[in-house]
Amino acid sequence: MTPLTLALPKGRLFEEVKKQFSLKGMGFSFDNRKLVAHDASGLLKIFLVKNSDLPTYVNHGIAGLGICGSDVLYETGYKFFKLHTFDFGSTSMCIAGKKGQTLEKRGRKLTIATKFTRFTRDYYHSKGIPVEIVKLNGSVELAPVLGLTRYIVDLVETGNTLKANNLEIYEKLKDIKVHLIVNPSYYKLHYQAVNNFVARITE
Amino acid sequence: MTGKKNRLLQLPQGTESLYLEEAYRHQQAVARLHNLFTSWGYLPVETPLFDFFDIYQDMISGREKDIYRLIDREGDLLMLRSDITLFLAKQIGLLSGSTDLPLRVYYSGAILRHQNQEDISKNEFFQTGVELIGKEGKYADMEVLTLLIATFKALDLSPRIHLGSRDILAKLFADFSGEEFSHVISLSGNRNFGELEHFINGRISADKKSFILDLISFIGTATDFENLLKKSAYKPDMQEQEAINHLLSLWAMLTELNLENHFRIDMSETGSQHYYTGIVFQGYLEGVDSAVVSGGRYDTLLKEFGFDSPSIGFSILLRKVEKLMSSDFSIPDHTALEQQDFTSAYREADKLRQQGRIVLL
Repeated sequence: MTPLTLALPKGRLFEEVKKQFSLKGMGFSFDNRKLVAHDASGLLKIFLVKNSDLPTYVNHGIAGLGICGSDVLYETGYKFFKLHTFDFGSTSMCIAGKKGQTLEKRGRKLTIATKFTRFTRDYYHSKGIPVEIVKLNGSVELAPVLGLTRYIVDLVETGNTLKANNLEIYEKLKDIKVHLIVNPSYYKLHYQAVNNFVARITE
Repeated sequence: MTGKKNRLLQLPQGTESLYLEEAYRHQQAVARLHNLFTSWGYLPVETPLFDFFDIYQDMISGREKDIYRLIDREGDLLMLRSDITLFLAKQIGLLSGSTDLPLRVYYSGAILRHQNQEDISKNEFFQTGVELIGKEGKYADMEVLTLLIATFKALDLSPRIHLGSRDILAKLFADFSGEEFSHVISLSGNRNFGELEHFINGRISADKKSFILDLISFIGTATDFENLLKKSAYKPDMQEQEAINHLLSLWAMLTELNLENHFRIDMSETGSQHYYTGIVFQGYLEGVDSAVVSGGRYDTLLKEFGFDSPSIGFSILLRKVEKLMSSDFSIPDHTALEQQDFTSAYREADKLRQQGRIVLL
């Protein structure tokens, strides 16, 4: 049987996914610096990719399946089927800034530094608030500290990084969940095998 | 100078060029399909390359950004051809008053759609397809489904066709407004059952709701489909049953022809266009990252162009499938002649060409 192809993101979700899959008899490990692995049951061929590239691999059908946060999915705008929402890895998208200040909403344009430009623009435009966005690729917390922008929009898990930089959350914008996604065409061709896989991880 | 050099290396997004081997394979595929369509009694049509944007505006909502628009010398907004079927519908509206029905037509041509610079996966550059106009019922549905299988056979490919029915969904959601139904169609097409359940909650009985959710998530053969119907606590009303029977009778005919293995009943196959009214389908091939063919019955589209007539057709994005075609479509070997003087070489070449060889002078 040809294994199902699954892309996994490097970073915060990886260890959790590994633990969960191991519990379901689909344990895997990557040899030194290798980025492709097979699971113990032979059901999966797993690719390890950068979080923000994951939707691209699934969109092109290189990996049929992927595990990905809704934050990253929103930014790419590709169309996938969501097969399952995991109960780990949840976090929230928040707007934050310097401690002691507040969110100035009245008619003023918000200047925001973020990795999540599409989400931020759509979110505030849907509320009728104009925004000016500075795209950053990491260490977003620096922006208000150094005076690049007054606000940041970013994922907040524990809030420790914010606290350490004397920042605080002004508002929670959205719950972010982790999903099992599938390329629609891949699903149509392999729906039985994919459904069995979903049943196995949700049992 | 650097600017000009960069432009020499690039094409604007949404178009492509084809050379030599690749162009040859493309033309072979097109030629085979044209022969096939002709042998089924379909006639060629050519559509304009651009047309007035406002006529089509309502039919392309949500896709405006993919369409190239320009302003002509009179100040009218035009759109470049991004979907041949749409331009064809208007032409047929104009034509069909003066012609006998049913009308069978085929088309092939380039289309222009914007695509993301970083996304090379789409290959939506060339469309070929057929339309059967002025005929309704099982007979016409079967003609187009069997022609679809013959089309892929001509390309030596074996697709999986997922067959749905907009008609069944329309009957099940008869009480919903047009806008609400569009939302249902979109959620079903995305297999977003959680939100679908949330959206229809409280609007319909619990039995019917669980029937609908089972139905829309279903993919399988007619036997599995009938089992699902038998098990359900909800019993479809007469109109709903009629739409279901139509789909099942198509399956029965496909089985008689030994073609059912190419098909799956899939009620989440709702058709991306809002104008579909009957059966809808998309075809998939292993190794291609999105549907390669889509089609269905649209009995009300032509009315928008002043001519009311039932129609059914399909359209293939041919460039998506060409990479999977066998070497039968590649340039055949050629013979190079050794004769030194032109006259005897010419005579020899002429003789060999009559035997079907390819000869270089």
